[in-house]
Parts: sequence; C-alpha cells; structure tokens
Amino acid sequence: MARTALRPLRDRVGSITSGALAWIYCALLVVPLYYFVVSSFKDNEQIFESPLALPGTWDFSNFGTAIDQAELVLAVANSVITTVAALVLTLLLALPASFALARSNGRLGRFVENIFALGFLIPSFAALFPTFLLAAALGLFHSRTFVVFLLPATALPLSIVILTSFMRAIPRELEEAASMDGASALQVLRQVYLPICVPGIATVLLLNFLSFWNAYLYPLILIGPDTAQRTIQVALPTLKVDAGTDYGVLMAGTLFTLLPVYLVYTVLQRQMQRALISGAVKG
Amino acid sequence: MTHAISRRAVLRAAIGAGIASPLLAGCGALTPASSRPGALSVHTQLSGAVAGARVFSDAVATYERRFARTVALLKNGSDLPIVFETSSLAGAEADVALVNLQGRTLSWTGLGATIPVTRLLDDWGLRDKIIPEAVAEWTDGSGNVRAFPFTRTNWPVSFNTRLLDEAGVGIPTTSDELIAAAQALRAKGIGPVTVGGSDWSGQKLFLQIIQGFLTAEESKKVFASGKLSESAGAVAGVEHFVELRDAGVFIDNVQGYTSDSELTQFNTGKAAIVPAMSSALAKVPAERAKEVTVGGWPKPSRGGVLDHPSVIQSYNGHGIWISENGAKKLDLVEPFVKYLYSDEVTDAMILGSGRDMSRVTGTLSTDFPLVAQASRLTAAQVSPVMLPDLTIPQSAFEPMIQATATAYGPVSVERIVDVFEKAYATA
Repeated sequence: MARTALRPLRDRVGSITSGALAWIYCALLVVPLYYFVVSSFKDNEQIFESPLALPGTWDFSNFGTAIDQAELVLAVANSVITTVAALVLTLLLALPASFALARSNGRLGRFVENIFALGFLIPSFAALFPTFLLAAALGLFHSRTFVVFLLPATALPLSIVILTSFMRAIPRELEEAASMDGASALQVLRQVYLPICVPGIATVLLLNFLSFWNAYLYPLILIGPDTAQRTIQVALPTLKVDAGTDYGVLMAGTLFTLLPVYLVYTVLQRQMQRALISGAVKG
Repeated sequence: MTHAISRRAVLRAAIGAGIASPLLAGCGALTPASSRPGALSVHTQLSGAVAGARVFSDAVATYERRFARTVALLKNGSDLPIVFETSSLAGAEADVALVNLQGRTLSWTGLGATIPVTRLLDDWGLRDKIIPEAVAEWTDGSGNVRAFPFTRTNWPVSFNTRLLDEAGVGIPTTSDELIAAAQALRAKGIGPVTVGGSDWSGQKLFLQIIQGFLTAEESKKVFASGKLSESAGAVAGVEHFVELRDAGVFIDNVQGYTSDSELTQFNTGKAAIVPAMSSALAKVPAERAKEVTVGGWPKPSRGGVLDHPSVIQSYNGHGIWISENGAKKLDLVEPFVKYLYSDEVTDAMILGSGRDMSRVTGTLSTDFPLVAQASRLTAAQVSPVMLPDLTIPQSAFEPMIQATATAYGPVSVERIVDVFEKAYATA
C-alpha cells in the first residue's frame, strides 16, 4: 500500500523535474536568440546599456546598413549557388552509391563502405593545403566551381552512411517484386527506394545544407574575396572592424544570413524528425 | 505511405536548382570583374564597416567612370594577409593590395610577394606628395620602400571632460594626476581608463606606457628582441605600469575587455578615458564627441624620458602594395595609384571618413572633430612615441598580445617580464 502511494509521488517529482529541465533548456536556447534578434534593432549604446530590453523603435536601418556595407545580397546569391549546386551533386553521387552498397552482400561492398567511412577520419584543416594545390593545378582556384565539387566530397561519407542504413531497411521483397515486373536497377532506385527514403534524403539535405552554408575557411581561401563570388560567411566578417564595431549592424547582417537557414529547416524539419524517430523505414 | 514532400517535388527541386545555378552564375553581378580583359584587381582592407570603406569604393567607381577603366575590388577584413598569401602561392593574387604593415605583411617585400616601390615613388612623381616620415617608416632595413603609404594613424587619448568635471578633476598630464583622477572618478562610480586588456589595444597601451622610460632607439631594440629584463628602462616601465594598474587606473575587469568593448564603455559614458586610434575616433557619436578633449597618455611623474604626455604617432595605416602580378601591368597600376594620391581623393578620405592620410595636405576633418583635434596636437603638447608593430617579429606578435593581457591581471613585475620574454622565446 505504501509502495503504491509512493509511486505517484515519485512520478510527479520526476515529471516536475523533467518539465523544469525542459523549460530551462528551452530558455537556454530562446534567451540568446531573443538577445540576438532585439540587438539587431539597437545601437551599441542600447545593446550594452539594456541588453535584454525591447528596442525603443523597430527600426530596420541596421539591416539596410549591413546589406549595403557587406554587399550581402550578392553574397547570399553566391552562397545559394554554391550550396544548391553542391547539394544536388551530393545527392546525385550519394543516392546510387548508397543503393549499390545497400544491395551488396559481398566483401567488396563492405570494403567500399569502409572506404567511405574512412572519410570521417580526415580533419578538414589537414586537407586544406593539398586541396589548395589541387585547385591551383586544375586552374579552378578563385572559382565557385572547385568548391561546388569539393563540398560533396566532404559530405559523402556521412551522406552515404545515412542513406545506406535507410535503404538496408527496405524489404528485399519490394525490389524483387519490381524486378519481376521488369523494372531495371535504375527504375528500382527511382520508383521503389527513393519514395521510401524521403526522410533520409531530407536528413542528408538538411545536415549538408547547414554544413555547406556555414563553410568559411575553404570558401575564404578557394573562392577568394571577389565580391562577385564570395559567399555569405566570407562577406559577413567585413562588418567586424578592429575598433568600433557596430554590433547592431553585425547582428542584423547575421540575422539576414540566417533567414535561408530557417526557411530550409522549416521545410525539411518534419522529414528529418520522422527519420530520427523511426530509425528505419517501413515499406 | 505519404510524405509532406513528394518524390516529384524533390526531383523538380533538384532539376530546377541544377538549371538555375549555372544561369545565376552567368549573371553579370556574379561574374568576377577581375576576369575581364584590362581589369586591375585591388585587394583592400578598406571594406565593409571600416572607416573610409564607402569613400574609397566611391572614389574607385569615379575612377572607373572618368577614365573608362575596370577596377575589381576584392574585399577582406583582418583575414586579407592570409588570403593574399595563398593567392600569391597560386599566382592568382590581386595586382594591388591595400593593407597595413604588421605581422605577416612585414616580410612580403623581402620574400618577393610584392615589389619595392622605391623607384616608382620618383618615376611616378609621388615622393613629394607623401610625408617624408611616412616613406621612412615604410622603408625596410635594406632601404626598399615596401609600399606607398596611404593612410596613417594617430593614437591619442580621449578624455570625457564632462565626467572628469563631475569627479572634480581636470585632464591629467602626469601619472600622479592620473591616479588622483582615477580615484575621484571611482568615488563617483565612473570607470577611469578603459582599454581592451585582452587584445592588441591593451598591448599598444602597455608598450606605450613602457616607452615612457625608453628612448626611441632603446624601444626599437627592446621590442625587436623582447628582452625586457636587459633594459633598465623597460623594467622601470613595467614597474610604472604595475603602479598605475594597482592604483586602480584601469576599469574593473579590464583584462576581459576588447578594443570594441573599450570604445563602447567610453561612448556610453561608463568610462572617462580611452586610448584609441584616430579611425576609431571617427566613430565616436557626435553627442559624445562634444564632451571629449583629445590629448596624450600622462607622462610619468618621476623618472621617465618624456617631456609631455605621449601619443603613438604612426604612418602605418594602409599601404598600397604592388604584387608580382601587378608588376606585370604597371601601365594599369600607375594611373590608379596616382589617382589615389590626387587632392580629390585625399580630401574625400579626410572629409568624408575622418581618415588621417600620409599624403601631404592641409585639409583637416570637419565632420570628425576628434580626428581633427588629434591632427592638431603639437610637439609642445605631446611627445610622440613609436607604434611597436614595425619592430615586433611576426612570430612574436600574437604570443606577445597574450603576454601583455597577463599584465592587466594581478601579477607581479617579475611575472610580466618573464611571460613577455617567453612569448618571444617560444614564438
């Protein structure tokens, strides 16, 4: 009797504790975001005097200044070009590779899969210099093209691991049934595997989008500083000066560059959550 | 099984993006101007939010229109030197670079990444247009002028007279007066001297204070070798710094401040005194500027080698460097550089952005009163001291900043000297 009376109390304490922790975690995420957003409407004096207060006026001039000073519209266009092209290339390479690996039962398949996994072991800094030499040797230094080819190479290990695990969970019977109906391997990939792998593809797209969009070092060195080509992450630091940075403008510029990230996340988040929750896919 | 995103939608998006990307890439604005025939590429730190960036890019646009030339502006901030160097390795560096002389750039001309402009100064008739001391400062040990000196900088100390009045003190000119002023300000709840204890701005002030006990020649020797303990003057300078620090001259927790936060402290009236370079003075809001008088760092009350409060004066602003690529097209570089030294551009930079220029000129800033005040300081008011950047070895530059940051914390003279010397030894 005492045990049964205690259990609801313990449950209640657990529930209150977990609820409180969830709210604290939520605050940890929301407070900086709030500070970030309100600061983009203030000047330095307001930011430092009353950091968490709402701005006196919702003046968008900081956004205009940031866009003008760092030429952010061009930079966003360049980031879109680079990121989208690299994402398309990543999927074009990762999907057939994962399809082949998922269907393979032999040693060769496992060996190739391990080769892809080795990609995780290469630190990006270590690859910078050889990559730079390669770009120079190919005549693609200071061009977006080289980075469009490079980014998928860095993303393939994770993309293939994720997509292969999704495709392995697809019952073989579906593929066999399609084959018996005369479907080619490409048709099996397109009409059987791809529809079922949409959550996995969304996950790969989202993770790689964040990685490509936020890339700084490689675009800085390989694409270079030409405003006609430089990406958003290379343009944004020009709002920071040695002395006298206008933090309102810097925050506004950063917020502007985050809008595409938010949009992409909004579009893909449900699929990614589905992928994370399911862990496997039913046919 | 249904999904929010259909297979068709994904395919459409992929195909659309694949088609749109090259189309977008073909847009004029997204095609590098540097790839056009006859274009001159100029890699500049005068970009983004830097004072003078807008005036400079407008001047370049005027040059393009007036002379029917193409100039591609490549823009970076503090990351310019590393980008220029990697570009240089690939033979794809810009023809001209506008960057200051410090750290990595000190070795550019010696390594052949840029050409000396000694002969060009005369051939292009620019020598008489540039302040002689500026040319001297940009000349290396072999007698080569590394680049055309373009902007320069004063490093005065700004005093908020309203806050000093509130505390009942005047502008301090000696260290004893400074300590008294700091105590009076603290009694009123006002921060005394604000400085970026954790970065280069704190380093500059530390080295400026030490120079109160060193002659110019001794300073060069000490900053080149880092051996403070071998110079009685340098040790006296460190002792003086510690005396000021322990007397509460600097704001609380100064060790955690940066060049940005020091200015914000000053601009928001939380601190009464700030040492800041002239380009930063151009960013002081007009309301605050009305309360500010510009002067020098108070001279030591006892000992020392200075007659007046000290000001760092340097011609080490942005220089116009000519790269190996630029050397192959001097016919394009010459008119551009000459244009940058025209009265028109000089006046625009001074009047429009408050920049101090290395060009001989009588023009004084009107809309940037603090910059103008700093330019008017005479030898009867302040004693100039050197900007140590030119003598500090490149490898010791960053480690030394970490060492000087230590000095703003509660450490002894011996510890400061030890950390400083180790920064040079391990660099």
